[in-house]
Amino acid sequence: MRRFIVLALACGVAAAAAGAPTYPVAAGSTLQFQGTQQGEKFVGAVRSYDAKIAFDPADTAGSAFDVSMQLKTIDSKSPERDQAMQTVDWFDTAHFPLATFRTVAFRSAGTGWVADADLSIKGRTKRIAFPFQFQKTTSGAVLDAKVALDRLDFGLGAGEWADDSMVGHRVEVWVHLVLAAPAVSSAATKPQTKAAAQRPR
Amino acid sequence: MSLRSTTEAWGALARVFHWGMFVLFAGLIGVGYYMVDLPLSAAKMKIYALHKSVGVVMLVLVVLRLFWRTIDRRPASEPMSVWQHYAAVVAVVALYALMLVLPLSGWAYNSAAGFPLRWFNLANLPALMAPAPALKAWAKSAHEMAAVVFMSVIGVHALAALKHHFWDKDRTLLRMLPWRKGTH
Repeated sequence: MRRFIVLALACGVAAAAAGAPTYPVAAGSTLQFQGTQQGEKFVGAVRSYDAKIAFDPADTAGSAFDVSMQLKTIDSKSPERDQAMQTVDWFDTAHFPLATFRTVAFRSAGTGWVADADLSIKGRTKRIAFPFQFQKTTSGAVLDAKVALDRLDFGLGAGEWADDSMVGHRVEVWVHLVLAAPAVSSAATKPQTKAAAQRPR
Repeated sequence: MSLRSTTEAWGALARVFHWGMFVLFAGLIGVGYYMVDLPLSAAKMKIYALHKSVGVVMLVLVVLRLFWRTIDRRPASEPMSVWQHYAAVVAVVALYALMLVLPLSGWAYNSAAGFPLRWFNLANLPALMAPAPALKAWAKSAHEMAAVVFMSVIGVHALAALKHHFWDKDRTLLRMLPWRKGTH
């Protein structure tokens, strides 16, 4: 019972914080990263993730991205490499199956936005700047982002794997989220958002 | 010893190709059997990278060697029976074919598996094909089987050379030995 109350409170807090409409993630979305192995680039995809995208350009204080990624579902088109990534030296998914990404604040930048966010991988959290484009579409919105990370910041491939020429330190994360229209109830409580959604592009 | 072969003996370049590639292939096969059972580590990847880099060198060497063979003279065959002569021709053709198949099947396996091909940490070489799980197992078997057949044919080739030397007491072996002039 107590657990239920805590859960209900947590949900209430989350709902209050995310005043902006929440966009369900639709088919066609990809969460990928590009790394370098022995001088050759490769792309890995996180097949399973859960993304709560609440965003309203007019209400950044009420906006929030909350993403959790199942690292066991990484697919880089090489069974050997995928297996290696699961080991203690890399993502150590036996102990840290999830990576999480939670925004803290939003600010507009040029034609897009930048979110300050806490990214947690392998038990290490780092505050990163996350530049992204958010485009409304007739069916919802599209969110695109590209951000470069240093794998060593998260303890990925330390020790004998630390050599940059073997596995590049720099990893680019590519996000392409196709978002469906927010639920009607959410839009109804936010008339300004509804107007924004109907604004011709 | 002249660079080119004479009618009596192999030249210096032919002997360098023969013995140099023998030493490198012996190393590759030894490292090859050793590395496949290593647990995953950065060291394992480095050993693989070395095996692949030397393998690419071998591919270049065998092409150069074949080219040299076409423009070089060839020592006259020692007297031997017709079947021995044809057996020797078959063995030589098989050896050259295997010297091509070994690096090419390794490269194909590497490409099908989607592994990078970094040559001595200097340059990346292109893949022979896009990653293909179906071809990967096939190329791996081809590479392994080619190694086994190669070792077998080398064994027969070496035994034949020793037979010529100790049984027939001719100069077939002497004219290829690295330290012999072979002209008398």
